[in-house]
Amino acid sequence: MNFIRQFFGVLVVGLSGITQRIAPVLTIIIGVTCAVGVLVSMLAMGTGARREEMGDVRDDRVILATTGGRVWQSDISREEAAAILGMPGILKGAQGEPVVVFESEVPIEGRRRVTGNRIYFPLIGTTQTITQYLPEMRFTSGRMFQSGLHELIASNPCARQFTGFEIGDRRSIHGGNWIIVGHFDKGQAQQCVVYADVDSIMSTFGRNTYSSVSVRLQSSAQFEAFRDAVGANPSLHLEAHRERGVMQDEFKQLNAILNFVSYFVGTIMAIGATLGAVNSLYAIVDSRRRELATLRAMGFGSAAIVASLLCESMLLAIPGALLGSALASVMFNGLAASPFGYSFQLTVTPALAMIGVIWALAMGFLGGLLPALRAARVPVTTALRAI
Amino acid sequence: MKFLPLIWAGIWRKPGRTILIFLQVSVAFALFGVLQGLKTGVEHVVDEARADLLLVHGSLSLIDPLPLAMLEGIKSVPGVRAVVPVELSGAIYQNPSQKVGIVAIRPDEGWLAAFTFTIAPDYDTAFRNTRTGAIVREGLLAKYGWKIGDHIPLIFTTMQRNRSTDWAFDIVGTYSDSDVGGGKETILINYAYFDEARVAGKGTVKHFNVAVTDPKLVAAVADAIDQRFANSANETRTESLRELAQSQMQSIGDLNFLIRAIVSAVLVALLFATATMMMQSTRERTPELAVLKSLGFTDRDVFLLILAEALVVFIVAAACGLALATLVFPLASRYVMGLSMPMIIVAVGLAWAALVAVVSAAVPAAQAARLNIAAALAGR
Repeated sequence: MNFIRQFFGVLVVGLSGITQRIAPVLTIIIGVTCAVGVLVSMLAMGTGARREEMGDVRDDRVILATTGGRVWQSDISREEAAAILGMPGILKGAQGEPVVVFESEVPIEGRRRVTGNRIYFPLIGTTQTITQYLPEMRFTSGRMFQSGLHELIASNPCARQFTGFEIGDRRSIHGGNWIIVGHFDKGQAQQCVVYADVDSIMSTFGRNTYSSVSVRLQSSAQFEAFRDAVGANPSLHLEAHRERGVMQDEFKQLNAILNFVSYFVGTIMAIGATLGAVNSLYAIVDSRRRELATLRAMGFGSAAIVASLLCESMLLAIPGALLGSALASVMFNGLAASPFGYSFQLTVTPALAMIGVIWALAMGFLGGLLPALRAARVPVTTALRAI
Repeated sequence: MKFLPLIWAGIWRKPGRTILIFLQVSVAFALFGVLQGLKTGVEHVVDEARADLLLVHGSLSLIDPLPLAMLEGIKSVPGVRAVVPVELSGAIYQNPSQKVGIVAIRPDEGWLAAFTFTIAPDYDTAFRNTRTGAIVREGLLAKYGWKIGDHIPLIFTTMQRNRSTDWAFDIVGTYSDSDVGGGKETILINYAYFDEARVAGKGTVKHFNVAVTDPKLVAAVADAIDQRFANSANETRTESLRELAQSQMQSIGDLNFLIRAIVSAVLVALLFATATMMMQSTRERTPELAVLKSLGFTDRDVFLLILAEALVVFIVAAACGLALATLVFPLASRYVMGLSMPMIIVAVGLAWAALVAVVSAAVPAAQAARLNIAAALAGR
């Protein structure tokens, strides 16, 4: 009981004196604000990227790829494609057609709106079943492309970022004249993607194999049966992958980079902020030397003093953490970033703010440790005589 | 000269505090160094890319197939010294995480002129005489425990005529690549063998590498090649390796913004922390400074003294931090290639350190200079 009373006593005295020690207190707060702000903003890239890559993943979607090959760059012949249509477990569309999407991807060139820089983005030849395969796909204007025609539909990020994607715009692709007929949103995706009829694309580009085939199952539980059926068919050289696994593999490297960079930069900034906090807390403890020595002369225990000083420094770090997270949220939440050639929106979530607070508490604790121990160790007589 | 011992004494007046400030500045500039190194690394990749080697690819994209038959057409363009057809594929060795890039080329006489590769002459001869020969990037031998003469199985993304994706090659040599952006895990194979064995896409290539007779003619030759194929079924775009590197680097455009944002946050935090510390420190030293002034030190001397102390600590600390950053480069090079710290970055870093020192010491130094001797000595 005594310990707790002493602990709160010292803490209250300490906190009530903040206004007199405004400079070192502000130093701690600003140092922590910057460190947490940077950490949270950097982590927000990771969250944004993950939300975008995994946010639309459905367990009933399956992607077929050449055995051992890269997922989106397979060579799947029309004979194999026909065999896939008869596989068990595939969802049937409104007219009873199996929801299987055959795609052939070619990169085409665009120009950035602002800079005029050249950039490549995928033009994907696909089938009409795409709308049933991707229930998250919503047309915001215009209409679906028609089979057999040179028509393109573009996701809204294309129109925002690149020139020449307004409805009615014509693009010359491989000597042909292609017209944009629709704009759509695709769930969380921020990537520019352009769809066209797969047969038109393949005849234009002289291809005779699909680069990927995707299937929507009746339910995710059908996956094993479907995979085994694909594996058992001797005419198919294909493997079935769940969409979730494919996406995870695809973004493993990006996530590793983002995490490494976030925590690397965050750690260095936290070390800097902690060093600053140590210095400020030494100054604070020094200025309270007389007061602390008096308390100890009165019989306050060292443990209570150390604990309350540590608590004080952690309390001082919390406003910094909140401020840092708030700044990150205000400045960067929803901002589209495209580092490392992949664009997504930064997403600041409460979970990230929590990480920020935890880091701040750690900074406060580590920063307060040495000054608090010193305050408790200085002999009472020396401290009182020094006045 | 008389200032030096005073500066030294001032710095070590409170060793704990100085060491903490020193560490804080070092840490901040270590981060500065790493981030700037990242940026210059990216720029380095572009600068190092050869401007005198051309790549002819389809006008729409880099991977649009072109017919091999265009080779003669490109060769006939004046100023072209060597044309080499290049086809790309991917493969894995043993398990899916061990990816290998496959570059199929036709090693005609003088083909190396059109590449950034270095290959020993006997390896090159062996490669040309072995249909299933493969030249692997230096380092891959050690990574997978291969030896020259080994017969290695690879699973390709390209299917053979028998519908199998299992391919096998004989390692006949190694090569090194002076292009910073070149694939680290790449194997060169013979286009003739690859094209004959594959089931689809026969007779096509991804691009042609072109060497020119005179580096000054690069732009003219590039235009001439594109002119030659304009309005044909296969329109081309001819670019130098440097132009290609540039357009790839544009995709990481936000990197600069990111780096600038972080560096400013670091500097703001640092500035504030050090400014309050300097303030605190001069307050504590008021009596000492008053003694100095009563001994005949002018206001200007005292001002410069405080400023000099800050400058010494900051610049030495920043130098340490930048040195520390170069130690981190090997770690970060796992993710980003070509990290480097040219002298200009060191200079910019030290200039920032000096600026932060001057700004954070200016107010306390001015206060010290304005000190009234009598009042300060009386403790008022």
